[in-house]
Formats: sequence, C-alpha cells, structure tokens
Amino acid sequence: MARRLPTVFLVAAAFIFPYCVQRIFLHTPIEREMGTAQKIFYFHVPLAWLMMAFAIVAGIAAGIQLRRGSLRAEATALAAAEIVLLTGIGVLVTGPIWGHATWGHAWTWDARQVTTGLHWLIFAAYLLVRRYGAAGSDRLAAALAIFGAVNVPIIYYAVKIWKTTHPSNEVVGSLPAEMWASLWPALIALALLSIALLLVRLRQELTDIALDEAWIRLNERGEA
Amino acid sequence: MTSLRQAWLLARNDLRQELRDLELVLTAGFFSLVVLVMFGLSFSALGREAQVLAIPGVLWLAVAFIGALTLTRIFDREREADTLRALLVAPVERQAIYLGKALVTLMVLLGCMAVLVPGLLLLFPAAAPMATRPGATACLVVLGCIAYTSVGTLFAAGLASSGGKNVLLSVILYPLTTPALLVAVVATRALLEGHPAFPAYLKQLAAIDAVTMVLSIWLFESVLVGTGASARRR
Repeated sequence: MARRLPTVFLVAAAFIFPYCVQRIFLHTPIEREMGTAQKIFYFHVPLAWLMMAFAIVAGIAAGIQLRRGSLRAEATALAAAEIVLLTGIGVLVTGPIWGHATWGHAWTWDARQVTTGLHWLIFAAYLLVRRYGAAGSDRLAAALAIFGAVNVPIIYYAVKIWKTTHPSNEVVGSLPAEMWASLWPALIALALLSIALLLVRLRQELTDIALDEAWIRLNERGEA
Repeated sequence: MTSLRQAWLLARNDLRQELRDLELVLTAGFFSLVVLVMFGLSFSALGREAQVLAIPGVLWLAVAFIGALTLTRIFDREREADTLRALLVAPVERQAIYLGKALVTLMVLLGCMAVLVPGLLLLFPAAAPMATRPGATACLVVLGCIAYTSVGTLFAAGLASSGGKNVLLSVILYPLTTPALLVAVVATRALLEGHPAFPAYLKQLAAIDAVTMVLSIWLFESVLVGTGASARRR
C-alpha cells in the first residue's frame, strides 16, 4: 500500500483540482473590492502555506540528519527542499500577478515579498550545495535548511513586525464560508500533489543511497 | 567561562599570526578602499536626498563583499597548513573554535568599517549624521557586523572542513545574511534621516544577532565534524 501512496495521492489530486478550479471560478462570489483578481488568492495562499510547511519539514529532517546521521532524514530534507523550491516559484509568480492587479505594481519590496524571496533563495542555495558541494557538504546543507526553517516565522510575522502593504494574516480567518469552501479543495489538491512528489523523490533518493552503498560494498569485496 | 577563555586564546593566536604578516588587514583594508572609490565614482554626482538612499546600500554591500573575502581567507590558512584537523583534535571546546574565529572575523570587519565610515563621510555630505552621532553609528556597525560574522563563520568553517569550493560560500552567505543586512540598511537610513524608529531597528538587529549566534553555536559541532551516527558514517 505504501508503494502505491504517491499514485493514490496523484489520482486524488487529479480529480480534486478540476473541481476546485470550477468551484473557484463558477461558484465562489467575486470579491467586492479586488474583483476577479482575488481568485488568485485560492492558489497563492495554499502554495504559501505548503512552502512554509515543507520548509519546516526540511528543517526538522535536517536536524535529525545532523543529530542521528539518518539517511532517511537526509533524503526527506532534500525532497522537502525541492518542494519548497517548487511551491516557492508558485508563490513568487502568483503573488506579483495579484499585486499588479491590486497595488498597480508587481513587486513593491514589501516585507512579506522580500522575506519570501529570500526564503526561496536559501532553499535554492541548499540545493546548489547538495548538488555541487564536496563530500561532507551534506552537513553544511543541513545547517542551511535549518536556517531556512527558522525563516518561516519571520515570513509569517513580517506583516506584523514591519509596515507592509501585504494583507495581514487575519484576512484568511475572516473569509466568508463560501470562500473557505473553495479554499479547502485547493489546499487539499495542492497538498496531495506536493506530498505525492515528496514521496516519489524520497523513494528515488533512498534508492540512490542504496545503490551507492551496494557499489561501495562491491568494490570492497573486489579489493579484498 | 573555559570556552570563552579558550576562544580568546585561539583568537589571540590568529591575531598574532595576522600581526606578523598583516595579510588579511592589508588586503581587506585595501579592498575596502577600492570598493569605496568605486562606489564614490558611481554615486558622487547624486543629490543629497539620493545620497541618503545610496549610502546605507554602499556601506552594507561593502561589508558583504569584504566579509566574504575575510571569511574565505581565515579558513584558507587552516586548510593550507592542514591545522584545522589539529584544531579539532586539540582539547578545546568546539564552541571556542567558533567563537575564536568569529571574533577575529569581527575584528577585521570592524577594522574595515574604520576605513569605510570615514571614507563615506569624506565622499558624501549626507553621511554627516554618522559623525554627529558616533555612539549610535558604533552600535549599528557592531550589531550589523556581528550578524554577518555569526552566520558567515559557521558556513565558512563547514566549507573548509568539507573541502568545498569557496564559490559556494557566497551562494550560502548572501541569502542568509541579507535579512540582517536589510535591517542594517534600513537602520542606517533611519540614522541619516534622524528617524525616531532608529532604536527599534537596532533592537531588531540585536534580536537577529542573538538568534543567528545561538543557532550557529548550536550547529557548529554538527556541521564541522558531525555527531553520533553521522560522524561514524563518514
């Protein structure tokens, strides 16, 4: 069953996503002030939540990797970081589109925008270190992922600490019921897709590690 | 207390080495001067209002460049002489190694600031509040440099111990230090404009210093040598 979990999640996401698009555009009332541009909110917010959640997953996994030397944790941190990069691209594309429609400028150097952009850069740096770092740089990359996870509360509270034009965190909580009813399917579909991708990458990484170890054992036996 | 004493001894050893050939002081000092001249040539024609916006960026970008150069060189010495391993097996606390290296980097950066700040005062009339409020300027400079040094020392040490390429240091360092440098830039602008929010920005910078320092000290041993199973596996 565990082997089929990514497929199950992907199929479920494939059914839920068209439903949520149809719900958002046809059955959710148009927001009074922002008009149709507000529809992007149903994709932007879940992507941002997922980006932050997977950054925390990557940070915790990297911590376990550093403390216990767990290969599974190392693979989880890498897979989660890749999802952060992907969802981060989604956030950084949808955010400025919304900003352009409502603020008149795609990028205003708002504190939330800047901290999110830097967050994306930290995880891009993590993947670069993993890809091009010398032997032993996996520990260095793990520390980078932990710093990335620490950045999550800074992103969340950026709208409270600094003066920003970005909507506050309370906006989501004050949504009417029919908007929540559209936000949930979008969140579930995107979460299922992200988890499925994480599981696929996790399995690939674990296979990669197992192949490396088998190769080392084979060489050692050859030398003996 | 032992850790702090060990850190001071390690830093003193590095400083003594530095005093013998002045390599880092002279190269970083000269680099500060070159960066200053380049920025001066680029921005000297700006009006006073535009200078207020440009000076914070000039100052902290220079710190970012000089810091990367300094951090690379500090651990290159250990790598060239193969003394990092000796340092790791010596009976000193790992945190003391971190604090010692961070202290040397901080002192070099502050030395460069002693060139940069008067240079800015000379080149840009809008930098005058830095001279009229020396205490506030000193606090800002020290807190900004601590934020850069605390993160930089951790990753420069990790890169040196893993035999990694130095180009990766910039890749890691800039995204991680930008939040602190950004607050430092905003605080510098507040200082130049005489904005009442300046002390609040200093507090934010101090909070960033505290978080990065604690996190770096906590992670230093794991990054440098690995702990438990991770150390045994490698």
